[in-house]
Amino acid sequence: MARSMLIITRQSPWSGPTAREALDIALAGGAFELPLGMLFLDDGVFQLTQAQQAAQLQQKDLTANLQALPMFGIDSLYAAKRSLSERGLDATKLSLLVEVLDDDALRTLINSYDHVITL
Amino acid sequence: MKFAIALFSPAHSPASRRALRFAEAALAAGHEIVRLFLYQDGVHNASANIVTAQDELDLAGEWARFVRSHDLDGVVCIAAGLRRGVLDEQEAKRQSRPAANLLPVWELSGLGQLHEAAQQADRLVCFGGH
Amino acid sequence: MATLHMLSYSPFADSRLASCLRLLAADDALLLTGDAVYALQANTAQRQALELMPVSIALFALEEDLAARGLTAVPERLQAIDYAGFVELCCRYDRTNAWL
Repeated sequence: MARSMLIITRQSPWSGPTAREALDIALAGGAFELPLGMLFLDDGVFQLTQAQQAAQLQQKDLTANLQALPMFGIDSLYAAKRSLSERGLDATKLSLLVEVLDDDALRTLINSYDHVITL
Repeated sequence: MKFAIALFSPAHSPASRRALRFAEAALAAGHEIVRLFLYQDGVHNASANIVTAQDELDLAGEWARFVRSHDLDGVVCIAAGLRRGVLDEQEAKRQSRPAANLLPVWELSGLGQLHEAAQQADRLVCFGGH
Repeated sequence: MATLHMLSYSPFADSRLASCLRLLAADDALLLTGDAVYALQANTAQRQALELMPVSIALFALEEDLAARGLTAVPERLQAIDYAGFVELCCRYDRTNAWL
């Protein structure tokens, strides 16, 4: 049975390549049909806001690539409830369909995967 | 136990030394390292161009000696390497860049290698940041 | 099915410790490495937060990082480890989560 991996992404799309390089790990795993989950935590929830304009900073649009996750068979997508509320974000107005979890649920989530990578 | 070890920060970061000391201890305890994978700024540990002062630790050199002496599988993520200017002969030629700087014990490959290692390993241990 | 969480950033300029503390499950463990050992600094809110963690959560630190920083007054619950101990911890816990 394949080992599962949770990728915890904690950076905004605008702080360097980390958000993209976390996504790349997920997409690479999806291409091999591996059991993967992705959790948006801390500033990582800023990857999920709407109406971002990557072109303003001459960057590639991360949102479009995030929306490709289900196409790669990765639909176990989560966001931390606390991270959203700390940042004044409305969980109903995100650019991606994610399951919003509180701290208790997040503890259970983390402990349900074989491997974890936090970027 | 089988370990996969991933390193995300450069040779001058404390995490790089910590990762190497950990890797040495893993082998000393009789464990197996299925792969060493360099990602993000960790690709710089594979650079042949790092020059450290005489009285400073040469981690890139130490890593290369470690990989070679234990015949380990050392992989550098090609996308992360290109982005940061760590290229082998083939990529330097392909991208028309003036120099190849990948130390020969390391091999450029894709993120699939990280996943393959994670599938084979009992434990994936990541080092990076500070 | 417990996790060994690993930190390496100083908690005074960084939010990783705070975030990690909220996500530690009852049987998880926390390993402080690098500047994260500064969380053990006496008379700080960070040290207090570590001491207030449930007893079931094991607290470890790399002894070389404690020694380098001259940190000798550490909490009783803290277990200082070397690299052999670090490897053993990774085997003992089901998975590791390094807060890179």
